[in-house]
Amino acid sequence: MSADEAKQEQVCGATLNCLKMAVDSSSRMSVASQFFAQEEFDENMTFTTSERVVDLLNQAALANSNDSKINILKQVQELIVNKDPNLLDNFLDEMIAFQTDKSIDVRKFVIGFIEEACKRDNELLMKLIANLNMLLRDENVNVVKKAILTMTQLYKVALQWMVRTRAITDKQESCWEMVSDMAGDIVQLLDSDNDGIRTHAIKFVESLIITLSPRMCDSDVPKRQENDISLDRVPKDHPFIKHDSLRDEGKSALEKLLKFMVHPAISSINLTAALGSLASIARQRPMFMSEVIQAYEALHANLPPTLAKSQVSSVRKNLKLHLLSVLKHPSSVEFQAQITTLLLDLGTQQQEIARNMPNLKEFRKRQRDDAEQGQKKIKIETPLVEDDEDKDIETIIAPASKPSAPSIQTETDITADFLQPLLTAENVANLVLISMVYLPDTMPASFQSTYTPVESAGTEAQIKHLSRLMATQMTAAGIGPGVEQSKQAKEEPKEEKVVKAEPVLIKRRLPSITPQEGQAISVLGARNVDFSLADEDAPQAKRRPEPIVPTAQTRVPGTSGRKKIFRLSDVLKPLSDSQVESLKHSAVKRILNSERAVAFSGAAQARIKILSRIVTHFDVTLKVKVLAFILEDIRNRLDMAFSWLFQEYNAYLNKYPEGSPSDYDQCLIGLLSGLQQKPDQKDGMFTKVVLEAPLITENALEVIRKYCEDESRSYLGMSTLRDLIFKRPARQFQYLHVLLDLSSHEKDKVRQQALLFIKRMYEKEQLRDYVEKFALNYLQLLVHPIPPSVLFGADKDTEVAAPWTEETVRQCLYLYLALLPQNHKLIHELAAVYTEAIADIKRTVLRVIEHPIRGMGMNSPELLLLVENCPKGAETLVTRCLHILTDRVPPSPELVKRVRDLYQKRLPDVRFLIPVLNGLEKKEVIAALPKLIKLNPIVVKEVFNRLLGTQHGDGNSSVSPLNPGELLIALHNIDSTKCDMKSIIKATNLCFAERNVYTSEVLAVVMQQLMEQNQLPMLLMRTVIQSLTMYPRLGGFVMNILSRLIMKQVWKYPKVWEGFIKCCQRTKPQSFQVLLQLPPQQLNGVFERCPELREPLLLHVRSFTAHQQAHIPNAIMMILETTNKPEPTLKESRQRDEEEIELKAVPRTAQDMISIRLAQEKALKRQLEEEQKLKNPTGPPRPAHLAPVPSVEESMEFQEEGPELETPNVFISIEDDVYDDESPALESSQDSTHLKKALKAAETIMASDTSKDGIKETEATPETVEELKVGTVAVKSPPESKAAEPMEVGAETEKAADS
Amino acid sequence: MPASPLRVAVVCSSNQNRSMEAHNILSKRGFHVRSFGTGTHVKLPGPAPDKPNVYDFKTTYDQMYTDLVKKDKELYTQNGILHMLDRNKRIKSRPERFQNCKDVFDLVVTCEERVYDQVVEDLNSREQETCQPVHVINVDIQDNHEEATLGAFLICDLCQCIQHTDDMDNEIDELLQEFEEKSGRTFLHTVSFY
Repeated sequence: MSADEAKQEQVCGATLNCLKMAVDSSSRMSVASQFFAQEEFDENMTFTTSERVVDLLNQAALANSNDSKINILKQVQELIVNKDPNLLDNFLDEMIAFQTDKSIDVRKFVIGFIEEACKRDNELLMKLIANLNMLLRDENVNVVKKAILTMTQLYKVALQWMVRTRAITDKQESCWEMVSDMAGDIVQLLDSDNDGIRTHAIKFVESLIITLSPRMCDSDVPKRQENDISLDRVPKDHPFIKHDSLRDEGKSALEKLLKFMVHPAISSINLTAALGSLASIARQRPMFMSEVIQAYEALHANLPPTLAKSQVSSVRKNLKLHLLSVLKHPSSVEFQAQITTLLLDLGTQQQEIARNMPNLKEFRKRQRDDAEQGQKKIKIETPLVEDDEDKDIETIIAPASKPSAPSIQTETDITADFLQPLLTAENVANLVLISMVYLPDTMPASFQSTYTPVESAGTEAQIKHLSRLMATQMTAAGIGPGVEQSKQAKEEPKEEKVVKAEPVLIKRRLPSITPQEGQAISVLGARNVDFSLADEDAPQAKRRPEPIVPTAQTRVPGTSGRKKIFRLSDVLKPLSDSQVESLKHSAVKRILNSERAVAFSGAAQARIKILSRIVTHFDVTLKVKVLAFILEDIRNRLDMAFSWLFQEYNAYLNKYPEGSPSDYDQCLIGLLSGLQQKPDQKDGMFTKVVLEAPLITENALEVIRKYCEDESRSYLGMSTLRDLIFKRPARQFQYLHVLLDLSSHEKDKVRQQALLFIKRMYEKEQLRDYVEKFALNYLQLLVHPIPPSVLFGADKDTEVAAPWTEETVRQCLYLYLALLPQNHKLIHELAAVYTEAIADIKRTVLRVIEHPIRGMGMNSPELLLLVENCPKGAETLVTRCLHILTDRVPPSPELVKRVRDLYQKRLPDVRFLIPVLNGLEKKEVIAALPKLIKLNPIVVKEVFNRLLGTQHGDGNSSVSPLNPGELLIALHNIDSTKCDMKSIIKATNLCFAERNVYTSEVLAVVMQQLMEQNQLPMLLMRTVIQSLTMYPRLGGFVMNILSRLIMKQVWKYPKVWEGFIKCCQRTKPQSFQVLLQLPPQQLNGVFERCPELREPLLLHVRSFTAHQQAHIPNAIMMILETTNKPEPTLKESRQRDEEEIELKAVPRTAQDMISIRLAQEKALKRQLEEEQKLKNPTGPPRPAHLAPVPSVEESMEFQEEGPELETPNVFISIEDDVYDDESPALESSQDSTHLKKALKAAETIMASDTSKDGIKETEATPETVEELKVGTVAVKSPPESKAAEPMEVGAETEKAADS
Repeated sequence: MPASPLRVAVVCSSNQNRSMEAHNILSKRGFHVRSFGTGTHVKLPGPAPDKPNVYDFKTTYDQMYTDLVKKDKELYTQNGILHMLDRNKRIKSRPERFQNCKDVFDLVVTCEERVYDQVVEDLNSREQETCQPVHVINVDIQDNHEEATLGAFLICDLCQCIQHTDDMDNEIDELLQEFEEKSGRTFLHTVSFY
């Protein structure tokens, strides 16, 4: 009781205290005495009945205990139901209000009240049925049970009421509908969870069956129920109640009950109840006798296995009891044999059976008496059932003699009849032997308690009994001829079945027809008419009875009962997909997690086997789980992994050749990928899996490739690949291909590793061809004008039209170059490709071949062959090779020979000779010198480096065919028709730059030798002056030279003479002595050129002693003392003239190539040239002859060379020297990046140069031109802008590189 | 626990020893209990096994007591019959026959199989009216004082357990199974309807 209610009660209690006190004394009396007291009281004061009810109802509402409440309510019920039914309607609502009382007993009481009220006044059904319906769904089982019991009564009441009234109102109709529905609901309760509810439902069903079947003449009619309605009292022409549908309802209820009874898990209480119900059905409605007996037989043969021993004996006792009671019934006669057998089996004594046999005579007499009595009674009660005339008739014809032959043969009967002749002694013995095998080890409780020794073995009766027993079992199992026949019967249309059923009824009734035969026939006819009438449709729209809704709280429906008989089909619901899925997953998980436990128990192998077998059937998600599990601890679960892998492979092979190994593939890939992602891989699991896998699929190979591409694992991956290649010859090329692919990988480390492996593979005879072919294929790609898409991995999203880059070019070359040192023959392939490749590629090729060529060495016959053959277009390549080979070591005679042959016989390009210069003979060198010095200054520089042994500063082991002095002399002696003077000057300048080589001694020797030549070289005096500038201490020696030149009549050589004067000028006053030795005419000539010399010389002479002066010839003195001065302008103009002459000589003497290039480039570079002109108006725009040498040192020289190029002058001016001294400082300030860029530019130029040299004069691409321009700019840097220029060059070069 | 107390009937053949012993104990425990016999007559041990004292059911315990005192006070004091009758008459005046009682019970406990059969047969032979179920349970008790006392306690236990169930119909099956295990006896059990 809640606090609120308690409070309320207190308040009420206080206010009504007086009232209570007043009635207290009476309420303490017993109900009966109170009632009597009341009655006495009422005799006097009748008007107070209603007041009394009100009073009692108030008391009930306030009553504390349930007992007193019920007591009071009982009084009210008594008053309004029995004493003064007129009040019933008035107080109905108040009474019904208690149906929501908390107390179960009060609610039960209300149900009882409803029953009583409805019985008293049937009309109340319309009001109360809905309330009963509510209570039928009460949360408390006991209330529900009570409601069922009440319904058992009220159903009959309601039916009777409906039948009685002809004019049916809508309300009535819906009321009956509700009753029918409730009846249906209660029948459904046979499947309730609650044993008690089921028991009550059974009783209800029993009553329902009896009510909905006709009472017959042979029916047992309990005295109390004599007046109860049954089907036979339902008129067939009733406007609303349909006779036939009720009959069918009854039959279906019986079927349900029978079905309920054969349930294997039925509880003993339910079974007992059902047995009792069947017995009373059989007695009251003998028409169902055969079904009942059959059910008994079936039950006896198949007691539910769930029963305990004591329950079995209880049930058997019950069965016996009910069989005896059925046996007593006269209609059991036709089943006597079966019943008797059953009873004997149940241990009943013969005499007891005999005692219960119906006394037919007596029965018949009794029946007749009963019938007469019934007739009388009905007649008495005519007012009640006056409508049903035919009922009278039926009851009159009811008295029946015992039924004749069994009407229908049941399934069991048919099967039993079929079996009986088959049960020979032999067959039975065999059956026993066969069934021995199936006997349980222990005797079942039911058998033990029910076993009775077979008394009459072998007798006809026993065989018959046995056949019936077997038939019962077979029917229950759904086999045997009986079942088949009934199946056939069921297949026939339903209508026919109905028709079939009817004659049975008629047949049964026919024998009973005695004197009133004619009437009986008319009855049959009438029935048929009724039948058709009853088919009329009842109005559908009806208002359902609504419960009287009390103002009290509504109850929360709760669960009633927990227990339910076990039914597999009820318990087993098909699992939802997700449930199945989760169950599956957890099952697998358990297997996976059982690893340790199983290992301890020593069944690890079995587990792995099982797991791998089932895993192959899994879907992807589960496989992923298993995979993750394996990878978690691959070291210890490798067995499982392999087991699974092979299982998958097996599955694939089973389907071979149809199936695809996709499952296997996934498994392998999963494993490999998983391993690949593991951080530490020192244990070689990956290798192990790969090598032991039965098949390496494409995808797996891809994983392996990925693995190899991981820099940190490339070694491991590639050695795995190598093992694969060697151990799986069938597919070795496939694996090899992967490795080869990796050889052009962008990652340096991976590539190197791959190349290392391939080199080793290359040694193997069987792989050699493939590797070589692959390398050459790649090499051949270079022939394409744009890189083929092969070069870009599938993962790289590259435009097809991308140009060659150094990257892609290198990609094509890596493998080839790696193989080259191992197989020199390959060099020819490169040469072939080289000739066809574009300039960019050539450039890259030249750069990358250094290492391999060096590796090959100059004694490689193939290389020599290349030099010898030198394909057209591959000249630069060959030159580059030569350079590389002779870079550090002197050329071998063999090489020199080849080069010489090449030079002399096929390609007279002097540049070939440069690398082997030191291998040539002296005269060859001298012969080549004029050509050599005409080359690009950088090249010339290199030539000199080689000849002078100043190359790279490393220990020069080669011995130059010319010593420095000889070289300088050779330069001086070059025939000026073979070579222009400018080149010679430049060459000598190069010599002078090597101060270490050209020491004052060397120079002195050179001067001496040049002096002694018959023909004085043109550049003699230049060299003298240069030497003097470099080594001023040579002054004395130079004076000596000058003196000797006078003796050789130096003035006969105009150029030398000019130099002589200049020398004198620079060496004054030392040279005065020499000047004085000149003949007067020549001296005069000197003064003409250099008037400023005269004065000092004169002074010099005058400073002589007189004696000394006397030695000076007069002619000379005269010249000295004359004051005529030469015009300076004249000299200047002369100088300019000379320059002009030289300028004009340039195009004439320069190589044809230069002029061609000039013409080509002029248009493109006009802009730049104009700028140059502005900066250096005197310097004519003229690009240098370009030739690259990739050396920082040289590029610096190249810059230094600049001013010399622009202002070629035979004579050395002071300014020149100044520039020369400054430039190194400038250069050193330049950063190395700039130098590199300059180097690159130079290379570009060389490459383009080489392409120009080729026979095919391919048009220079704009890019090359641009680069050329850059090179030109660098070369052309004028002295004025020198400080700024390098920066610009850098910028320009950068631009070039970018483009 | 159901609000209404369990209506129990204890039945033996003569409504003297076993049923009265149980009646005694059950009523002391507050049960709504009645006791019955099922025999045609009330039989009490006589001086010899083949000479029982036979009374009809109308005879009061007091009359029997007086009669036996008259016959052989010594003997009937010795075998406890007088003591038993003395107790009985303090519970109710005379033995009752089950077959003659039309009251409704929830539970009928019988004391031997024969009595059980008679009770069930009687209940089944009655015309059904309310369909109110009644559980009939047989507890085999030998007809002597000691066993009667033991049996009475067992019956009392059983009743108490049943009384404590929320839903007797539903739980009685299981309860009996438990009791069978506990006591090592077997109980016949059935349900009938009024």
